[in-house]
Amino acid sequence: MRRLMSYLGAILLMCGIAPATYAQQPTGTIRGRITDNATQQGLPGVSVAAGGRSVLTQADGRYVIAGVPAGAQTVRAKTIGYGQATSDVVVTAGQELVADFALTATAVTLSEVVVTGYGEQRAGNITGAVTAVTDSQFNQGRVISPQMLIQNKVPGVQVVDNNDPGGGLSVRIRGATSVTASSEPLYIVDGVPMGTGAGGGLSAGRDPLNFLNPKDIESITVLRDASSAAIYGSNAANGVVIIKTKSGKGHSRPVLEMNTNASASTVTKVPNMLNATQFADAVATHAPARVDSLLGQNTNWFDEVDRTGYGQEYDLALSNGGENMGYRLSLGYQKQNGIIRASSIDRLSLGLNYEQSLFNDRLSLSTNVRGARSVDRFTPGDVLGNAVGMAPTQPVLDPTSSTGYWDWHTTNASPSNPVASLALASDEGTTWRSVGNIQAAYRPPWVEGLTANLNMGYDLTKADRTTFYPNNLAAQVRQGQGSLYLANNSQGSSVLETYVGYNPQRSVGPGVLDLTGGYSYQQSHAEYPELRERGLTSNLLGDNGIPPATNVTNTKNVTDFKLISFFGRAGYNISDRYLASVSVRRDGSSRFAPSHQWGTFPAVSLGWRLSEESFLRGMAGLSDLKLRASWAQTGNQAIGDYLYYPTYTFSDALSKVQFGGNFITTIRPSAVDPDIHWEKTNAYDVGLDYGFNGQRLSGSVDWYTKNTSDLLFNIPIAAGTNLGNFVTTNIGSMKNHGIEFALDYKLLQPKTSGKLNWDLGFTASYNKNELTDINPNKSVSRILTGNISGGVGNLVEVLQPGVPINSFFVFEQRYDAQGKPIYDVTTPTNMYVDQNGDGIINDSDRRPFHDPTPKWILGHSSYFSLGKFDGGFTLRAYLGNWVYNNVASANGAYQNLSGSGMPSNLHASVLTTGFVVPQYYSDYYVEDASFLRMDNVSLGYSFDLKGQPFRLYGAVQNAFTLTGYDGVDPTAGLNGIDNNIYPRSRTFTTGLSARF
Amino acid sequence: MKRTTTILSLTALLSVAAVACTDPTVAPKSTVSSANVFNDPSAYRAFLAKIYGGLIVTGQRGPDGNPDILGIDEGFGEYLRLYWYLQEMPTDEAVIGWNDPGLPSLNTGTWGASNSMVNAMYYRIFYQVMLVNEFLRQTTDAKLAERGHNDPTLVANVHTYRAEARFLRALSYWHGIDLFGNIPMVTEDDPLGAVPPAQAQRADIYAYVVSELNAIVNDLPAGGPGMAATYGRATPAAAHMLLAKLYLNAGVYTGTANYAGAVTEAAAVISSAPAYSLATNFRLNFSADNNTSPELIFTGAQDGGNTQTWGGMTFLIHAGCGGSMSAGNYGIDYCWGGYRMKQQLYNLFAAGDGRSSFFYTAGQQVNVDDIGNYSNGIAAPKFINKKANGDTAQQRGMVDTDFPIFRLADAYLIYAEANIRGGGGNAANALTYLNLIRERAYGNTSADFGGLPPVDTILAERARELMFEATRRTDLVRFGVFSSAAYLWAWKGGVVGGQALPTGRDLYPLPANELIANPNLTQNPGY
Repeated sequence: MRRLMSYLGAILLMCGIAPATYAQQPTGTIRGRITDNATQQGLPGVSVAAGGRSVLTQADGRYVIAGVPAGAQTVRAKTIGYGQATSDVVVTAGQELVADFALTATAVTLSEVVVTGYGEQRAGNITGAVTAVTDSQFNQGRVISPQMLIQNKVPGVQVVDNNDPGGGLSVRIRGATSVTASSEPLYIVDGVPMGTGAGGGLSAGRDPLNFLNPKDIESITVLRDASSAAIYGSNAANGVVIIKTKSGKGHSRPVLEMNTNASASTVTKVPNMLNATQFADAVATHAPARVDSLLGQNTNWFDEVDRTGYGQEYDLALSNGGENMGYRLSLGYQKQNGIIRASSIDRLSLGLNYEQSLFNDRLSLSTNVRGARSVDRFTPGDVLGNAVGMAPTQPVLDPTSSTGYWDWHTTNASPSNPVASLALASDEGTTWRSVGNIQAAYRPPWVEGLTANLNMGYDLTKADRTTFYPNNLAAQVRQGQGSLYLANNSQGSSVLETYVGYNPQRSVGPGVLDLTGGYSYQQSHAEYPELRERGLTSNLLGDNGIPPATNVTNTKNVTDFKLISFFGRAGYNISDRYLASVSVRRDGSSRFAPSHQWGTFPAVSLGWRLSEESFLRGMAGLSDLKLRASWAQTGNQAIGDYLYYPTYTFSDALSKVQFGGNFITTIRPSAVDPDIHWEKTNAYDVGLDYGFNGQRLSGSVDWYTKNTSDLLFNIPIAAGTNLGNFVTTNIGSMKNHGIEFALDYKLLQPKTSGKLNWDLGFTASYNKNELTDINPNKSVSRILTGNISGGVGNLVEVLQPGVPINSFFVFEQRYDAQGKPIYDVTTPTNMYVDQNGDGIINDSDRRPFHDPTPKWILGHSSYFSLGKFDGGFTLRAYLGNWVYNNVASANGAYQNLSGSGMPSNLHASVLTTGFVVPQYYSDYYVEDASFLRMDNVSLGYSFDLKGQPFRLYGAVQNAFTLTGYDGVDPTAGLNGIDNNIYPRSRTFTTGLSARF
Repeated sequence: MKRTTTILSLTALLSVAAVACTDPTVAPKSTVSSANVFNDPSAYRAFLAKIYGGLIVTGQRGPDGNPDILGIDEGFGEYLRLYWYLQEMPTDEAVIGWNDPGLPSLNTGTWGASNSMVNAMYYRIFYQVMLVNEFLRQTTDAKLAERGHNDPTLVANVHTYRAEARFLRALSYWHGIDLFGNIPMVTEDDPLGAVPPAQAQRADIYAYVVSELNAIVNDLPAGGPGMAATYGRATPAAAHMLLAKLYLNAGVYTGTANYAGAVTEAAAVISSAPAYSLATNFRLNFSADNNTSPELIFTGAQDGGNTQTWGGMTFLIHAGCGGSMSAGNYGIDYCWGGYRMKQQLYNLFAAGDGRSSFFYTAGQQVNVDDIGNYSNGIAAPKFINKKANGDTAQQRGMVDTDFPIFRLADAYLIYAEANIRGGGGNAANALTYLNLIRERAYGNTSADFGGLPPVDTILAERARELMFEATRRTDLVRFGVFSSAAYLWAWKGGVVGGQALPTGRDLYPLPANELIANPNLTQNPGY
């Protein structure tokens, strides 16, 4: 019952203050419509006052002021970002008169309507830290995943891609807030929440948001601070990304948009391995017994596995709009080859947006349905590692072998031919995803200002993946004898939301009120059937069949999830000068036990537009100055399902246990904490929005701090307390604090066309993460993390109170006078600093040393136009991000030449270090990966052909990167471990777009 | 009219939705809740099999992919593989060239409290203990009656299962006190998820384990050579064997020796019926068909087709192969190039000893001058994934060979050692037992002992007979030479010639993380 309170409360509040019509003196009614002078579109939320009464305009700009005293009156219409307009009228008792206004925008950035949680607001009135990026500001060129559109554009937002075309992206808004639960933001696409985790859904291996054609996106709004996100409650701790697709609105005739482009991507950098001569010399010195096995070739294995990746894209969109309806139908096809052979993405997408107004605009219906099929081909998982490890002295082909490719003849673990793997193995996925919804908004005539909303949506995904390694590949001959993996995963989610918004038509006290209250129901069902085979009896069917095999396991995992929420928000606005917003959300999640399911997440934010105050109003040039402050508590439940539920898991066919004469399928009890509950983040934000010269120069500064407590954390527990040694529980706390700056400057703003127009944007954000506490009983504890390649189970990162999460945890390398790392295995204290002075070097001498997340992220965007030319570029810099060069550490030791297997190529760092035995824990491999990169530069030329507008454009992505980092890419993923990552490409795109 | 309908339907939808759907609870689908699982009476056996499997498999997917314990590579975290590392690597027997975390310092006796292998062993031990405790809680007579499981056969079986579970708990507690000394003692009476347990004294756990074994020994299922129905299960002979080992080392665990107890229990093993006997072919005990050996008393059963793991024998067979050895000769797919003999072990073998017939010397040198180089140290592929007659096993990757945990030759050696140490029994029998072992090794009586040898000879004989069978560290500790300077071997203490270990190395440290998670614990001296 209590959980109904916020909902019912909101309704009761509305009923209580619903306007009653009464008349003590002769009065009349004024009716009219407020429009934008430039666009002729109705303006909602404009304050219209006459005779001591004021009302707000509806969504279509219409207003009605009843009970205006008869006689001469002045009608004033005023809203943020527009010049005030007045009109003198004479009201006759009992009569209705019409007063229409067209307002002229004075500061567009303030009047823009921004989509926020369950509503829209004018940018200037927002009291949280919210950034909207519209399509004109999006990154140009070859863009596969929507998140890439805003890389660099929003302060405090880090978009981490993995270089694979359309590969999985991670987004961090103001740092990571959790360890075990997800730190990914919540995505809302046209009102449909996408679920939790990266990309908010399921995929065959690439980014789940790839179902969304970036060309269909109109705007992406990022709710950075907790107070704006809190209305979304669950998962809002990590911020919210609201994606709005294009609609047919605003067109008065059918418009056909066409876009086509072609791109070519090249490899920018590959690992720095020894060449054939250096390798042969190293073998002669360190593994003389192996010299005879070298064949004196000169093979650059990366040249054999990489390529120029070509891409093409075709988009068609038909849109039309009328007075009461609009639609947009879009079709897209994109094919992109990766720069490593065998990787590609092939996407076909379809989208439909339809809007219809009914009953004099009282009912508006809209539907957004989109679906895509993405065929993803992946480079087989062993290719990059073997391109690193395969000896450069050996040939690619061997007509005498069963595969036709040359390989070492040995039964011991050795590198194998990556080209053979490319040719014979396969790894493919297909993802079908469709997301759609129907939204209805009804404004009943009996309570002006009331809007009842209904949103019903679905999200269906089917993601298939097939990985096939034939049994004649050298590595498979040694171990496994061929493998096949099939997964046919599917997920279906639905959402039902109902909410009411109420803007009382008259002011309440000195200001106007804006109320929202609602209910949301989300459920999701997912199935993960998998087939694993090892020891294939035949390769003939390839990945198209299921051959008999020695080891076969079939598993299926089914999960269900529900999230039920009640939410309410009240906004109060006094003359656009004093602004306040209060919201509360109550969420119930199936991921917690019934007694811990519900969490309540309140938020308060205040805004004070100093520029509206008399003492600043006259200040020359100042167009906006607003101080914001907010506090909010948000929750996170983005963990696996059923982690509170004691269950038994069956063993599969290959982990049966002999019991007497039988092999028994066993059952294993789970180790759970039945009392796990919501992880909570308390966030404070103080911000300043500023604008000068009619917003020609504008921007914001934000300071924030986020304290996450009751971390959902999979931690080691005391032996003898549970049925496992790790349990996911609520323990520990984490802190993020930082500063964000944004500045937009219309540097050149010519009055006449044909001159250079230049807009600049700068963002700078600083974030510091700190794990403040793991175990409340003790001041020191640590959990190792960060698995690397090389050896088994080497962990180079640490979770430790007092330092950022995933800090590197390494020895302090000693260097000789020439700056060369000292190598001395017999006296390790000569090699590493003995931190605790006990005379031996062991785990106790490793210490936290830097971390992978950038301390500063700097971004610059320029947009310019000159006559028929337009263009832009973006620059990005990270400062203070460190990367562990795992390619160097795992391959930078001469011992790799002399093991029981055949010699493996070495990283060139070995020429400096002289390491014989690998030194995985040396901080020599932790490198400063700060960089400056020109992410994007584009140029367009617009022209008319037979009266139709065309635009020809070209773009270069990753034009250059300046960095001191030695490895392949300084943005080596979230965890900062560069282990045979997919190389970064430089992409050249040319395209043509047209409208008919 | 239309409008009214719209309003009504919208209002109805709003209120219905808000009232109807306010319960977010969902039940698991692909796992079975603890409330339901025992509705199926076969679940008792399935649960007990999991506890047996806890010695061999690492999780619910073979060979990996759904681990029981976290914080370590799944294959490394296998019970008997960890036990083998801790019992063999710091001794005069084995050296391993890998640099994986935790291993280098095990070679040299320089481990610290964060050593990941030591830590994982500790958690594996308690994982077994906690499974047994939960099993005992779920299988009381009251619980069976509650579920309506009254079938007398089932009830009798469950009684047997409970005894077997208690044996497995005793086995792990023995490992626990042998390796770590004072550890917490948790039983089925301690509820789950409670406060961290208190630390118990080594001697108290010893007493508890002894009393447990004595209480259940007659409830265990009868077994012995040829009795397939109880193969791999704990039999009375297995309980006697464990008691013999506890008594033999009682002086280490409690300060008071009990060699008489060791003699009695070893005699009970030797005289159990049907009688165990030494396998004529020594190597049968370590081959893919070693389940047919008349000598094996208790094993960790593996099967290439059904019971797959990266630990146990999969590890021992693959890692014992390297250098110029051909993997196919040992029935496996490829060599991992891991462990070899230290020269001290190699030098214990005299010419003619058949137990050295499988040593692999080509390209190998005797002395371990460089731990990382596989060619340093003679390779000893004692375990093999081929049948004793040379036939192939089911698969080359995953092995069929079972891990011999207890075998008769060890009972003979215990009897002899305890007798020599004054534990009583029959000296003539003791000599006979020793010579049975010697005669099998040499194929004739040429190397027989004329009379009972001094006890130090038993230590050497144990190395020859039981090399790489995970008993060595316990033996060296019992003989007082594990950490002292009295007996040095290659790389002991971190120097190639060997030096005494720092004080306290007879015990492993309690995991550093565990001291944080459980404030009741006091670290072992010297760490």
